[in-house]
Order: sequence, then structure tokens, then C-alpha cells
Amino acid sequence: MIAFFVNFPLFSIVLCLLCAVLCALLKGKAARIVSLSLCGVVAVLAFCVLVYGLQTGAATEYPMGHYPHPWGNELRFGIAEPLVALVFAVVMLLCLIGGKQQLDVDLEPGKRNLYYVMCDLVLVSLLALAYTNDVFTGYVFIEICTIASCGLLMIRQIGRTTLAATRYMIFSLIGSGLFLLGVILLYGVTGQLLMPSLKAAIAALWEGGQYRTALLSAMTLMTVGLAIKSGLFPFHLWMPDTYAYSTPASAGILSGLVSKGYSFLLIKLVFGVFGTDVFYGSGVSNVLYVFGALGIIVGSISAAREKDVFRMIAFSSAAQIGYLYFGIGLTPALGMLAAIFHLLTHAVTKPLLFLAAGQLGEAAGGRLRHTWRGAAHRNRTAGLMFSLGAFSMIGIPLTMGFVSKYRFALAAFERPTLLVVTLIVLAVSTVLNAMYFMRVIIGIYTPVPERRTRMTLREQRPFAVSSLLLALLNLSAGVAAQPLVLLLERGLSLL
Amino acid sequence: MNQVLLLSIVLLPLLGGVLLALMRRAEKRAADTAFLSVLALEAAAVTAYLCLPDATVRLFSMTDALTVSLASDGISRVFLAVGAYGFLLSGVYATRYMARGERQASFYGWMLFSLGALCGMDLSQNLITMYLFFEAATLLSMPLVLHDRTEESIRAALKYLFYSIAGAFLALLAIFVLGRFTTTLDFAAGGTLTADAAAHRTLLEIVVFLGVIGFGAKAGLYPLHGWLPTAHPVAPAPASAALSGIIAKAGVLAILRLVFYIVGADFLRGTWVQIAWMSLALLTVFMGSMMAYREDLFKKRLAYSSVSQISYVLVGLFTLTPSGVTGGILHVIFHACIKICLFLVAGSVIVNLEKTRVSDLVGVGKQMPITLFSFTIASLGLIGIPPASGFVSKWYLALGALDTGIPVLNWLVPIVLLVSALLTAGYLLPITIRGFFPGKDFSAPPKTDEGTAVMWLPIAILGAASLLLGVCSGPLVDWIFTLVAPLV
Repeated sequence: MIAFFVNFPLFSIVLCLLCAVLCALLKGKAARIVSLSLCGVVAVLAFCVLVYGLQTGAATEYPMGHYPHPWGNELRFGIAEPLVALVFAVVMLLCLIGGKQQLDVDLEPGKRNLYYVMCDLVLVSLLALAYTNDVFTGYVFIEICTIASCGLLMIRQIGRTTLAATRYMIFSLIGSGLFLLGVILLYGVTGQLLMPSLKAAIAALWEGGQYRTALLSAMTLMTVGLAIKSGLFPFHLWMPDTYAYSTPASAGILSGLVSKGYSFLLIKLVFGVFGTDVFYGSGVSNVLYVFGALGIIVGSISAAREKDVFRMIAFSSAAQIGYLYFGIGLTPALGMLAAIFHLLTHAVTKPLLFLAAGQLGEAAGGRLRHTWRGAAHRNRTAGLMFSLGAFSMIGIPLTMGFVSKYRFALAAFERPTLLVVTLIVLAVSTVLNAMYFMRVIIGIYTPVPERRTRMTLREQRPFAVSSLLLALLNLSAGVAAQPLVLLLERGLSLL
Repeated sequence: MNQVLLLSIVLLPLLGGVLLALMRRAEKRAADTAFLSVLALEAAAVTAYLCLPDATVRLFSMTDALTVSLASDGISRVFLAVGAYGFLLSGVYATRYMARGERQASFYGWMLFSLGALCGMDLSQNLITMYLFFEAATLLSMPLVLHDRTEESIRAALKYLFYSIAGAFLALLAIFVLGRFTTTLDFAAGGTLTADAAAHRTLLEIVVFLGVIGFGAKAGLYPLHGWLPTAHPVAPAPASAALSGIIAKAGVLAILRLVFYIVGADFLRGTWVQIAWMSLALLTVFMGSMMAYREDLFKKRLAYSSVSQISYVLVGLFTLTPSGVTGGILHVIFHACIKICLFLVAGSVIVNLEKTRVSDLVGVGKQMPITLFSFTIASLGLIGIPPASGFVSKWYLALGALDTGIPVLNWLVPIVLLVSALLTAGYLLPITIRGFFPGKDFSAPPKTDEGTAVMWLPIAILGAASLLLGVCSGPLVDWIFTLVAPLV
């Protein structure tokens, strides 16, 4: 039985593609049901693959179409890949459920099904990015993801989203273009596209000192391309409008999942293509570390200066992406572990914040911080969930955010030369985080004399259910983080 | 059995807080009853606990290195007793003080939540648990400052939050670093540093220094003291009393645990860190008294006085000598008793006479004789006139400072303590003098107006206690010396 699970990654990818086609033909409501069930099924399949990975305790290479090794296309999965895919599918499901109210308003009646087509496409590209063992397949799905994400963004047709989508498109295409150039360079030098063969070829070339410049450029191009796409400083400027003006479900998916898909691909590339020796020996990692640190600080400062709450949360995403690259750049073992843990933390937390902010924004009737005064009294659930998400972002104990910070601090000791800098960056960003999030929390809990109608639980059932589940995920992983950390440790060793 | 009791000491106030949160629409009488019964139960549980042997409860682990567990020792008994009894008396007083306002149930609820977080801190077995409850105490006591929901209180709460969280994260930095250089983060008298810690002395000294500054934010230690005089007076008087008398001591406890139970006094003795800490604390003592002397708003004057007095405690801890630490812990108890009393008096003056400025307080003694008499007794304790309690603690503080053998500081400490005592007399005694001897122009009111016994009785009890604790301090001092002996 369990042996059959080996086919599930392929099944889930094909299933997503089929559903995308199907959704294009269906009416809005049916398309929604199909997409929601798809996310559920994909989550179950990913869970089965995870079980398979744990059972075998090794990474599985899955050739497609029975072509022998250097020619065929392959999937590869151990423990980290299905775990990430599982989280992606679950969070996407919860985003779509939780953002239902705004989706009903923001989607034009005739075009509803198209939104779900885009969702299915985003999901398939995320799965493919997680499972693929071939850099060119990676590139193809990066492009699919870009186009589909633009769709998710554009579906809410106000002027600002069009502008944001254009900007997003430009940044994204630059990113994927750079990535493609990197792939071409690597192919030119090594003649390989499959990750294991590439890794062997690169290691041999690096050892012999051949094609240093080409290899370095390829590595830099691919890293920078992915960094631009996930929004690393100084390429984070597409973020605020993209996240802040899209409908909350899209904002959750884009900030929580899409940017994480690219980062996860980079982590896979570091282990599976460049090899940690080459990557960390070449100094590219240090560049990531520096820009990660700058991203953390600049993102936090921008967030603190922002008056529009949605843009504030978006800038905070820029800071969190900074954390990811900061960890990747720090060290291959603990730093990577911290980064990938933070990836999951942020994937669970940011959608919660965007969904809750969507509800609060509606209760407040505005986007600016000062209009939010007392909003939590009009919508208690949303207020509570927003506070919880904010606590996790700040890193209050018992939330996942705290464990993230703790892992980063542990990682800092692996590299004593950077210890002080790392700790200072952590401390400064935490204080800034606390400052701008607490300001909003106090604002929304400040009572205002006028009594507007209060949103009851019943009126927002979809949001309540999904945000509660996201919060539970966050808290349970924060209270008992050890199993997750062990899982990720094993997963990293198999990458 | 012991474990159940230990757990219930932490859970009882928290559950009580939840209960009161659910009673928001209930009548005030019902809320009063629930609030007082929880506080009484808690005090009873703590009393029972004072006589029972130590116990440990392991709650859960976040990761293998981060466990959350409770344990009790002598120090935790001291802080538990101060917290439970202090809250009980302020709570009784609050039922009357809060009668005029609204949202009593929510106020009571936050009081209980704060108490629960404090008890959790007192009973923490390791640094992680303590940090968790430290953060919780900040977040759960902030609504007390916010209670009036005026523009001023929101600003004050924000300031409180910002300083506390900034401080807590400085401390977190120290915890992270110490996690690497200690064998365990569980508290053990004398510290748990690893053998290779000495090789990283500079790093450790810096982070421990910063950690103490961070935890010191809660105790109003310079340079993170700015929030205290803003936030404490804004809360309703019983909450100011709890904040100044008890919750601010959470910072003292955190520093005590960090310095003596994780790092160890031997590691720090004679280093620049100790000298810097002592200088900062001395500066705070002097500055707090100066500011209190110049301040006219009654509650704000008391808050500045807290800044100064809590740093007395810290001076004691930082001497790293048996007498100094004993003096510090004694001062925790005495100052809690006195400061709660003083704040409750200020509350009575506000409620009954509707006066907030010291300069308006003429002839109070004629209108509120018992209240002002207790105030005077407590003031004498704070100034440190024998045989009142403050004298005993300051005596040991001065002895401890002389024992340090650090040049200049060893004689500067007693001098600053004396000057500050003079200033304390200067900012407290005029209230008594003009209260009882208002001068010829003052026309006596027709009758006295102390409020009900619910208001003046807690004040009188605390006033009497501040005197009696000093007169019969012998056994207490001996007991605390035995607690401190393994630490230094």
C-alpha cells in the first residue's frame, strides 16, 4: 500500500492541471468547490508522500516516462518536500475559505471560475517547485506561477491593482529571466539539466578550477532571480501594493505561499545543484546574508513608517523574506533549518494576518491606521486573530514566531564571526516589529463612543473557521515545536 | 498534592480572570464576590504553600531545550506571599474604589490575569518559563493602565508596552546567548555556566549586562525607567498600587534569577558589569528621589518614589554580598507593603476629597485621620527611621555595599542612600505636616470622611504591617540570610 504512495507527487501535479482545465469550463460556484476539494486532496496526497518519505527514510527519485537518467524528467522527494507541499495546500485551502466574503464582492460574477483556474495553477506550480528534480522544469513552473499570481492579483479590478500587477509582472519577469540565464549558463558549461547530474558536474568543475566565472555567474544569476521573485531587499518594492490592494485571499496566497515556493526552490538548489561546499565557499551566501539583514531592517522601518495597515503588513513580509535569506546565507545546517522553519512560520502566519486585516478593514471602513480605532470591538474574532498573528510575528513565546527566532539565534552560534551582527539584527527587528504591530493592536482595541453594528460569529463563519485553524496550527507548532524541528532536520539531510 | 497546589496557585487567578471576563454583564456585587473569593482562595493557597515542602511540575516542552516547568524555592515563597497578600488588600480596596466607575468586571479580570502571570513568574523553574510569564505579565497588566481609555492612558500604555517589550527582547538576547554557554537554563544557585564560558567572558559580560538592563525596564532601572512615572499613576489607584508595589518587582525577580541562578555571582564579582550596574542603580535612586521631590501630582510623586525605591533593591542585589542581597529582598517586602499603602491613600484622597495635587492637600488629617496616620507610619518606614521596616532593609543594604570592597562605590552607596532618605522625608512628610497642622486659615470640615471600612482598613493594616515588620524583623532577616547564603 505504502509503496504506491510513490506515485502521489505526480498524481497531485496532474490532478491540479486537470482541475485547472475543468474550472475553466465550470460556473463560479462549481469551480470553487472543485478547487477547494483539490486543495484538500492535494494535502492528503502530500501527507501520504510524507508518510512514504518517513517510512523509507531516504529521498526518492521518480523518473517520468521511463527515460533513463540523463535524459528524462524527474521528481525527487524526501521529507521536506512533501511537508512543504502539505503546508502549502492546507494554507491555500484556508485562504480560499477565509477570504470568501471579500471574494464574493471582489470577483466579477462572470469571471469567478477564472479565479479558481489561477488558484489551481498556482498550486500546481508550487507543487512542481517543491517536487521537481530538473532545473528547467523549475523554470517553466516559475513562469506559470508568475502568470497565475498576476491573475490572482488582477482579479480585483481597481486601478491600483492594475498598476501593482504591472509592477509585479516586470519584477517577476526580470527575476525569471535572470533565472533562465543562469540555467542556460549551467547547461552550456555542464550539458546537464537534472539536479543530481548538475551537482556532480559542478562539483567536478569547481574542484578542477574550471569555468569559475561561468559557474559563479550562473549561481549568482539564479540566486538573484529567485530572490527578486520572492521580494528580497532591494527588490521588495513591488510587494506593498501587490499584497495590500489584492483581495485578502490572494494576499494570503501571494505573501504566504508564492514567495515561499521560490525560496524553497533556492534551498533545494543550494543542496541539490550548487552543493553546500560550493555555495558557501563561493561567497554568494554572504551576499544573501547581507541583503537579508538589510531587508529585515529596511522592511521593518518601512513598516513602522506606514500608515496604511495593509501596506504595513506587506512591508513586514519584506522583512520576513529578509529573515529567510538571512538564515540561508548564515550557515548550511542550523541557518538553513531556521530559514525553512521560518518559511513555514510565515506561511502560516501571514495569511492569518491578511485575512483578519481584511475583516477588520471592513469593520473599520478604511485602510489607514487611525480609522481602525475600535475595529476589534466591532469584529471580535478578527481582532483576536489579528493580535495572535501579530504576536507570532513579534515572537512572543508559545507562538511559532518565537521558535523561529530561537532557531535563528541558535544558528548564530554556528558562525561566531557573525554572532554579534546576527544577534543585533534579530534584536532590532524584533523591537521594531513589536512597535508597529502593538500600535495597531492598541488602536483596534481602543473603544470609540459611536456604536456601529457588531459582526457576529455567524455572519463570518468561513473566516472564523479558517482563521481558527490557522491560529491552531501556529500555536500547536509553537507549543510543541520539537517534532516539527526533528522532521525538518531529517528533511534537510535528505535534500 | 504539592504539585496540585503549585499548579493551582498559577491557574486559580488565570481561571478567575476568565470567569470575570465572562461576567462582564453581571451586576457589580456578583463581580465583587467572584473577584474577592478568587483572591482569598489564592491567598489561602499561598499561605498553605509557605509551610509545605518544595515541588516541581513539568508542564510541556516547546523543544527539547525549551521546557516550561514550575518549581518552588525560598525566593519564590517570598515573592508569592508579597503578590498574593498585596493583591488581596488592593483587591478589597478596589471593590469600593471602583464603585463609581464602570467596567469593574473587566478591571478585576485583568488584575487577576496579572496576578496569575506574576505567580507563574515566581514559580518558574527555568529561564524560558520565566521569560514566558514575564512577557505575559507585561501584556496582561497593560489593560490596567489602559482602564480609563483616555488619550493620556492610551499614550501611557503604549509607552509602557514599548519599554517593556524592548526590555524583554534585550533580555531574550541574553537568554539566547546564555542558552549556548550554560549547561542548563534551569535555575541553580550559583549559576550553570559551562566550563568554556570563561573563554567568552567579554561577550557574556555584555549580553548579561544588557539582559539586566532589559529586565530592569520592568523595575524602572535607568535608562529604561521612563515609562514608570507615566504609566503607574494613570491606572486606577488599586492598580497603581499593584503595579508599583508588586508588578514592578517582577523585574527584580527576573534580575535576581538571571544574575544569581544562571550566571552566578562569582562570574560577575568585581567586573565592570557589577560596577556599571551599581552606578546605574545608584543614579536611579538619586534621580527618582529628586524627581519625586519636585513633583506636585500626588500619584506621580509616589511613582517617582517607586523608581527610586526599587533601585534600592537593585543596589542591594548588585553588591553581590550576603548582606546586600538580604537587604534587597527585605526591601522588596517592605517596599511592597509601604507603596501599596501610599497609593491606596492617594486613591482615598482622590475619591473622598477629589484632590490630586499635593499642594491642595491641606488639613487632610482633620478629614481622614486614620488614613493620614497610616500614611505617616508608612512614610516613616520608607524614609527608614528606626524601628520602622525601611530602616532594617537599608541597614543591610549599606552593610552589603561596604562589604563589596569596590573603591569609591563602597562608601558612595551609603551616602547616596542617606541623601535619598532625606529627599524621601522631604517629599512625604510635608503631606503629613500640612495634613495634621493646616494652619489658622483652615476651617475644619463638619465631619470626618474616610470612606467605608473597606477603604481605610486595608490602608491601616498595611501601615501597621510596615511598622511591625520592622519591629519584629529578626526571624525574617535570619530566614532570608539562609535563603541568600547559597547564592553569594
